[in-house]
Amino acid sequence: MKLSTALRGKKLGGVVTVLIVIMLLPFGFSAARFGLARGAEMPDVFLEMPPPEQFNRCVEDTDYMRFRHMDLLKRIREEFIRDGNRGNVSLTKCRDCHTSRERFCTRCHEAASVVLDCFGCHYYPEPDSESQQLGS
Amino acid sequence: MDRREFLKKGGAVLAGTSGALGLPLLTSCGVNTASEDSPLAGRKWGMVIDLSKCQSDCTACLDACRHENNVAFHNDKRWDIHWIRKVNIRNQESEDIEKSVLLLCNHCENPPCAQVCPVQATYKREDGIVVVDHHRCIGCRYCMIACPYNARFFNYKENEEWPNTDFPKRSHGVAESCNFCAHLVDQGRRPACVEACEAIDIRALHFGDLNDPESEVSEIVASAPVKRIRDDWGTEPKVYYLGL
Repeated sequence: MKLSTALRGKKLGGVVTVLIVIMLLPFGFSAARFGLARGAEMPDVFLEMPPPEQFNRCVEDTDYMRFRHMDLLKRIREEFIRDGNRGNVSLTKCRDCHTSRERFCTRCHEAASVVLDCFGCHYYPEPDSESQQLGS
Repeated sequence: MDRREFLKKGGAVLAGTSGALGLPLLTSCGVNTASEDSPLAGRKWGMVIDLSKCQSDCTACLDACRHENNVAFHNDKRWDIHWIRKVNIRNQESEDIEKSVLLLCNHCENPPCAQVCPVQATYKREDGIVVVDHHRCIGCRYCMIACPYNARFFNYKENEEWPNTDFPKRSHGVAESCNFCAHLVDQGRRPACVEACEAIDIRALHFGDLNDPESEVSEIVASAPVKRIRDDWGTEPKVYYLGL
């Protein structure tokens, strides 16, 4: 009697441990990926700058635009569509200065493994055929 | 505090907090999420279609709409999308009378499509235009079922052409309908179909602010015998017909 209870307790403990490990797997996976990504060398992808005579200042500082442009885009998207605030900033205006989508968007997004879905609907053509192979 | 009292008080607190949190969610269903200081507030865009001037063989407005808004046309009625379309209607009692009628999104004051949208992708703007935020649309097609005017279409396939690169296309998997060319209206212009109709000097389509009593549409609505499609449904369409 006592032996069987103890055995059952052990079994239960094992099952719980396995369940906890399964639950934690995704976190471990992303932690490992994060560690790998930190270790990997970041390619020099921040290349596309418009010619100096055209380049005055983007809508925000370069640092902000590099790392936080997605927040800006989401914010103006809400304002633009929901509230009808059609300001001067819009995704399609990026291409006025940044002519190459491959150098301006694709290269860095590929390095950061960010998949985005902007250009299925918004017009920003790829100028040359070589970059088309890289995808969006 | 005994067990019974604890359960009673705890239950009351729980019900109170969940009610306070849940009430805004319940009441916001189908309501426009735009802020109140929106520049659109105060207007109410509407359209008058004069069927006595509209010619049954003319497709200027349909073509202009397709071009302006990149509306997909695959020449296959399973996949074709029509923001504005022409249908022939017949009186069932006297079958000889046939009429060509322009149909488009009626931009209802009480839009059923916006009420059913589970993600609030479809909503009514402050100025009364019913639009779809295609970023939010999940393609559930509730709005297509809810719309009593069959004005909504689903992108089974992406448009292969891109005639107007200033305006986005829609990817496959989202629903769409006429938006009164909101991007043009915000620039102070009028919808592409209205401009096209005026360009060929037929002037069957009129567009303007229904809140402004001096606008063209308000004057027509006030003076002429206008009709709306199925006014009895209570959807309060903002597309009026002359000679329907």
